[in-house]
Order: sequence, then structure tokens, then C-alpha cells
Amino acid sequence: MALLEVTNLKQHFTIKKGFMGEKTIVKAVDGVSITIEEGQTLGIVGESGCGKSSLGRSILRLAEPTEGSIKFKGEEVTGMNAKQMKELRKEMQIVFQDPYASLNPRNTVRKILEAPLIIHNIGTRNERREKVELLVEKIGLRRDQLNNYPHEFSGGQRQRIGIARALMLEPRLIIADEPVSALDVSVQSQVLNLMLELQQEMNLSYMFISHDLSVVQHISDKVAVMYLGKVVEISDVEKVYADPKHPYTRALLSALPVPDPLQKKERIILQGDLPSPSNPPSGCPFHTRCPMATKECAEIVPPLEEKTPGHFAACIHT
Amino acid sequence: MHALRFVAKRLLLMIPILIGISILTFAISNTIPGDPARLILGPKATPEGIEELREDMGLNDPLYVQYGRYMGGILQGDLGESTYSQRPVLNDLLRYTPATFELTMFAMIVTLLVGIPFGVISASRKDKLADQFTRVFALLGVAMPAFWLGLLFLLFFYLKLGILPGSGRLDGGMAPPDYITGMYTVDALLTGNWPVFYAAVMHLILPGITLAAVTIGMITRMTRSSMLSVLKSDYIRTAYAKGAPENRVLYGHALRNGVMPVITLLGMAFGHALGGSVLVESVFSWPGLGQYAVNAITYLDFPAVMGVTLLIAIIFIMVNLIVDTLYFFIDPRLKHD
Amino acid sequence: MLLDVKDLSLSLKKNGKYATILDRISFQVEKGETVGIVGESGCGKSMTALSLMRLLPEKARLDGDINLLDENIAAYSKRKLEKIRGNQVSMIFQDPLTSLNPLQTVGTQIEESLILHRNMTKEERRTRVLKLLKDVGLPRAEELVNEYPHQLSGGMRQRVMIAIAMACEPQLLICDEPTTALDVTIQAQILELMGEIKRQTQMGIIMITHDMGVVAEVCDRVIVMYAGKIVEEGPVLELFQNPTHPYTIGLLDSIPKLGQRKQKLGSIPGTVPAPGNMPAGCRFAERCRHTMDICRTTVPPMFDIKAGHQSACWLFDEKGGDQDGVVRSDELETALHH
Repeated sequence: MALLEVTNLKQHFTIKKGFMGEKTIVKAVDGVSITIEEGQTLGIVGESGCGKSSLGRSILRLAEPTEGSIKFKGEEVTGMNAKQMKELRKEMQIVFQDPYASLNPRNTVRKILEAPLIIHNIGTRNERREKVELLVEKIGLRRDQLNNYPHEFSGGQRQRIGIARALMLEPRLIIADEPVSALDVSVQSQVLNLMLELQQEMNLSYMFISHDLSVVQHISDKVAVMYLGKVVEISDVEKVYADPKHPYTRALLSALPVPDPLQKKERIILQGDLPSPSNPPSGCPFHTRCPMATKECAEIVPPLEEKTPGHFAACIHT
Repeated sequence: MHALRFVAKRLLLMIPILIGISILTFAISNTIPGDPARLILGPKATPEGIEELREDMGLNDPLYVQYGRYMGGILQGDLGESTYSQRPVLNDLLRYTPATFELTMFAMIVTLLVGIPFGVISASRKDKLADQFTRVFALLGVAMPAFWLGLLFLLFFYLKLGILPGSGRLDGGMAPPDYITGMYTVDALLTGNWPVFYAAVMHLILPGITLAAVTIGMITRMTRSSMLSVLKSDYIRTAYAKGAPENRVLYGHALRNGVMPVITLLGMAFGHALGGSVLVESVFSWPGLGQYAVNAITYLDFPAVMGVTLLIAIIFIMVNLIVDTLYFFIDPRLKHD
Repeated sequence: MLLDVKDLSLSLKKNGKYATILDRISFQVEKGETVGIVGESGCGKSMTALSLMRLLPEKARLDGDINLLDENIAAYSKRKLEKIRGNQVSMIFQDPLTSLNPLQTVGTQIEESLILHRNMTKEERRTRVLKLLKDVGLPRAEELVNEYPHQLSGGMRQRVMIAIAMACEPQLLICDEPTTALDVTIQAQILELMGEIKRQTQMGIIMITHDMGVVAEVCDRVIVMYAGKIVEEGPVLELFQNPTHPYTIGLLDSIPKLGQRKQKLGSIPGTVPAPGNMPAGCRFAERCRHTMDICRTTVPPMFDIKAGHQSACWLFDEKGGDQDGVVRSDELETALHH
């Protein structure tokens, strides 16, 4: 049984637009199905407005999903009441992009890390203290730094504190929303190393949301490529990166600047801009920019098909 | 099209606001101690006489009945009769409003002409002498009570120097210009009556500046902080990177962006000036709504109090509507969204 | 020589004290050459760009020479500078939305450079603006001139910024993280456009970025900066294949590479020293795993590795160690990478 099984999840927002407040429906997540296995990482990759962050929030019910099913350890999450959700959040945690904004600046790191334990009424004072000290060393900070405030740490250290906080309750799944995007590369690598180490040690599962294709490739086992609220391709990382089946994935990969001046590759330059999620194109959402698009693409919404064993893509031409 | 719908929506919104205000004022003016009937009849009144008058004036009916009667009258353009002046309140309002409107508008013009340039200079010379001076000036304007400032002005410019008139709207014995708008400066201008125009402007200066002191302070400080944040923005750096000289950057790029938030404050400033006119008119014997309101309150003249409050509310809402609509036309981001 | 920067130093006032942001930076840019300046946040790369344009805060202290076509613009008066900015030297910034005036139309903003620097009639300016819009690959130029920045997408806005920069056909274009705020597919479009411009003009380009991928893609030569100093400089191929400074090596090792999944990435322990609190010797000594005594006491000069390839590291001091520089660098290869 998969740890997390999401089926046909939809997250639609009604937004008021403009001065007069005309209502538009934005289909941020539009029928996404994914699974995450125990101890594995699913990377979610896509450009701005593709719905990758909304997907993460929706799974944690930080925003109420419009439709679809979310099963965690076989239990349906969507219908859970507040008490059940509180229990569930012990096992599913989130790490945000901006570690500074998500850490209370008035609290010491000790307090920040202890808070989840207190909220969930776990352990005695001493046990909690011990747990905090143990974990803080695991993430590469010193015990004496526990009494410092978030602003006294660098960006990378703060992100490690954010991860430690998420780990306090020994969750099974961590949804990491662009966890390294705000960091410099040398610091980013430290956080990625830490995440990989922790995963091995604690058999954690990650849902790793990022716009950075090379980072996602590095950390994930499976990867889902999203475009305008839909998964357009999903498979094992090796398969997707070596032999992308969706023209969008191909374009994304070819657009990625590679830090190797010898590697001059044939580049697919997509024409035009990302369409607005509030006004997506008909048929295949990618057809307006797709170099392979034909007349049918504007009419048929391509289903996610198994192109080769275990490799799914939503394109009628591949 | 958008703008039209916006204005229509805002006008519709006015109705519940005005009803709310009318209920509030009605309730307040009827719960304060004091009996208008007793006040009208004077110290020699008999209890029977007072009771009779109360019955006559409908003061013995339940409050909601009185309120209903009042609102019914308003719908027919009847604001009741002032118990003090014995004239229909509507007539009084029509008579006193132009004077107050003229004073307030004058104060607003002074505010804009002084406040915005001061704010801009202050921001562009941040922490230099000009900035320090302006900031102290603005702080004084906001902090100093208007009546006290008015008295200081009277003392200095009227009594001591004698260069400016200190009371009324025109020199003693001067006939007002032909009635067109009721605002002497405008009417004099329209009829080409130069001596009256000159006198009317001179009379406006002291009360106008007194009234404007607070709003100048407000606008200067707002312009300064808004300009400072604009001057730090990326597009200002872009303008410099294009090779634009400082003045061009300041007036061509920063000013319009910096003044935007100030516009939203203008409606508030106008309301403030309107409210401030009550005190300032008393100090300068300016025959406007403010003085009328003060009299009305002193004599528990409820119909007059209600009339003034509603009128000021309407003016305030209208001015804010105009300001918001203005914003709509100045900021292209709102137009296209 | 298009640009010759000599011993450029910059101090900014912070909390009443001057802190050194840039410390004796020297580099050159030839005509038609694209030079990348890379480094992590706080290394001073953006400040270098702003110093070249002299778009600095009022209380900045700038020393050294900035020779643009043999004229030292570091000594220029405000008025003379204005004649150069946007004319001979242009700049493109990171965030195209905030870098454009929200209350002016696209046309007005492009036209401004022409008004400032070219003696053109209104008609000529309009023709030129339309041509510029077409040159940067923007469709329906005629309508676009009357539109406002918020009506455009991120990629279109950056194209408009490029059109503004190109308006007066500058000799030097400074790009400060021009694609960092953009999506990958849009970044590819902009890089393609810049490549196009580079081929068509003889412009020198300074590309400031944190992204080694972008450097590899567009630059001819690379300058690596750390804590306000240049630590390594060389031709792009040489620098990527044979990086010598421990910082450059650490930086390259920490990038996740395709095909090396879940392997431990290289990383650099510690943090960048704060401006105003710089160590006496090499600024990287604190975080370097090859630190020697001399590193802590004396600032390393630039040592020649090969023609055009220099590195500010004491490991390459031929007189200092018992090995000569060339051998040393080969040893380093094996020692540092594994």
C-alpha cells in the first residue's frame, strides 16, 4: 500500500478579479492523481502557476480540496474532522520556501522546536528537551545555539531549523514546497544532503515541490511534471529525464542551462508565454505553445496514458 | 464602462451609509439630556405650556415614530424647521453651506499647493536642512490645535500688523456679489466684481490657512514617506540608468507614483477640514455651517443638528467618491484589470 | 579595450560606519566579449555592476579607475555621467516588473532614452521604438507602445527592458541576474534573444548571475567573486574544466548534476564573512580546507595559472610552497575533487 494516494484531486479557487470583483474560477489543481511510497521521494516540477504549490497545500488540507480523494496509509483524509486532522498532521508535515517567514522571530529555536511537541502533548519536559537537543545536532547545529533567535542564523541554517521543526513529531511524509529555492547553491547542497541523510535514516517520504529541474532530479525517485493544474508526465526520474514523453517536459529539459560549456545542445525554444491559469486554453493545455500541436490538440483533452511500462504522459502525439 | 459601474455601485452604497448615520445622530441627539421645548419657552414657562409644546412638536411619541416621521419628511425634501431660527432647515443649509464649502475648498487648495511640494522637497533632500525644517513644520501643523493657531493668527496679522481682516467674509458695509453659487470669490469672479473678489480672498486667508494647517501636515508627511519609498524603487534606478538627470527622475517618474497614495488621503483630509471648520468658523466669525452647527447644538435645535450632520456626511461621501474615481483614472493598473 | 576596471573599491555607510563592499577589483572587458561575474549572495557582484554605472547610494565611497574607452568615468561629474548612462553603457535588472515605471506606457519608457541621448524628431523616435520592439521579438508593436507594464507577462517585460537598454546602441551592456525572476522556458527565450543580440552587435556584455548554467551557456570569460574580491578569473571552458580556487571548486561541486542522483553533493562549510568584519588574510580561509598559515595573515594576489586564467590562492604561489604552481594545480585536481 502506498503511503499517500491522491486520486483525481481538484482544487478550484473562486477569485474576484479587477475593480468590480467579477468572479473567475481558477483551476489551480485540476484532476491530479499521484502516489508516494514509503521511504520514497516524489518530485513535483513545473513553472509558476502550474499548481504545484496548491497541490501540496491541498493534500495537507491547508486549502480545502474541491473534489477527489486523498488517502494517507489507506485512510481517507478529505472527510476528517479537526481532531483527526490534528493526529494526521503529526505524520504529514510541511516545509516552506522562506524559512524566515515561517519561524516566529520572537521565539528561540528551542521554543520553536519544542512547540509541536507541546501542542501534541508529547513527553515530559525533560524528554522534550532531550529530543530537541538530539535533533538539533542531527541537523548540524550546536546545542548552545538553541537559545538563539531565528534572525541570528543564516538562510541555510534557518531552513535546517524549519526541517527540524517538521521532524519533531517523527512524521512519515514531508511536503517540501520549494525548500531550497531561496538559498545559494553551496548552502542548497547542504540542505539537500541533509534531506537525503534524514530520509535514509528515518525512512521518510518526501513530496519535493520545485521549479528547479536539476534539484528535483537529484533528490527524487519519481517525478511528476505539472502544467496549468494538470500532471502532463509522471514516471521514474531516470525515465523522465532520459526519455521525456511529453513535449512540455522535453522543452523544459532542453531549456535548462547546464553548467558545462562543452555541452551544446539543440534547444527547443517555446514560443509565447504561460497562459493564465484563470483562462486556460481548450483541449490540451499546452497546445498553444507546443511545437507538435495539431488541430486535434485544441479539442481533445489528452488523458494520462502509459506510453512505456510505468511511464505516463498526457499527449496524443507521443 | 468599468468606471461608470463603479460610480453607480458606490452611489447605491451611500443609501445604507446615510441611513446608518441618520439613525445614529437621531438616537444621540434624542438621548442627550435637555428639553428643546423648555429651552424654547424660556425660564418663565409653565409645566403645562412645556407639555403642550412637547405634544405639538411630537416629542412625546416613541423615538422610532419620530424617526419615521423625520425620514418621511426628508424624502419629500423637508428637513423640518429649525427651532432656533424658525426657518426650514433646508433653507438654512442652503444659505450657510456655500460659505463653508468655499472655506474648505480654499483650505484644500492651500493644502495641495503647500503640502505636496513640501513633501517632495523633504523627500528629495532627506535628512538635510530643508527636510528637517519641513518635518518640524508638518509636525507643528498636525499637533497645534486649530482654534489656538487661529487666535495666534488673529493676534498677529489682524490686531498687531493689521494687514489681514480677521472676521466675516467681506469688509464691513460691502455688498455681497450677485448670488450664483453662494461662494463669494467664485461669484465675484463670474460677475467681474474685482473689489469684492479681492476682499473675499483676503478674508479667506487667515481662516483658510488655520483650517489647512492640520491637513498640510498630514499631506506633507504622507507625500514625504510615499516619495521616499518610491525613490527607493527599481524603476527609479532604471530611470537613472537611462541617463535621466535628477530633476527629470524626480518630477517625471517619482512624483506621479509618489502622489498616488496621497490622493486617497485627500478625501480624508477634506473631511478633516470640514470637521475643523466648526471651530475655525467660530474663531473667525465665519457665517457658515460650522457656526450654524454650534448654535444648533447650543440651543438643542435637533432638526438643524440632524440636517447639518446628514449634509456633511453626504459631502464627505461624495468627495471620497470623486477621489476614488480620480484614482481609477490615474492608475492604469485599475483601468485594465 | 572596451572596459578596464582598475583597483575598484567600494565602501558603504552602514550604522554610521563605512564597510568595505568591494576590495580592489580589477578586470577587463573586450569589444564583443561576454564576461560573467558569478558568486553567491553578498559577494558584491551586483554592487560591482552598480559601481560601473555609478548608481550608488549617496554616501558610497568609490575608489579606483573605471576606464570606458580610455576615459575614466569614475572621475566623471554627474552631468557627464548622465550622458553615458543609457547611451554608451546600459543596464538590465533582475525584476522586470518593478524595474519598469507602472504609470508609463511601454512606448514612453523606451522613448525616454532617445529623448535623452538622441537628437530625433518625434516621428523618428516612434519609428525607432517600433523597430526596437520588433528586434526584441515582441509581437504587435503598434499596440504594445500604448500598453502598460502590468498588461505584459514577465518575459515580455524583460524584453521591454532589453529594448530600453538597446535603444541607443550601447557599447557595454550590464545584465544583473536578467533571467533569475523568470520561468525556465521564458529564461531560455531571453537567453536566446541575448545570444542573438550578441551575434549582431559588437557590444561587450557583463553578465552577473548566481547560476553556473547561465554562465556556461552565454559567457566567454568568467570572474568568480567571493566576499567583495575576485578569487578566480578565466576563459569559460578552462574555468569549468580546470577550476583552481577552492571556492570555485566548492561552488561547482555543490551543483546537482544530471545523472548523479542522490549522491552526496559537495558543500562549503560556514558562512560568508560580513562586510566590515573581514579577516586579515584570504577571505575564504575560514571555510577552506587547504588553509595554510599565510592564508590567515596575508591577502593572496592573483597568481597566473595559464594565459588568461588567474587564481587568488596561496596554493599557487611558486615561491611560497615547495612545489611549483603547475604541478600544484594538477595535484589539486585530484586532491580537491575526491
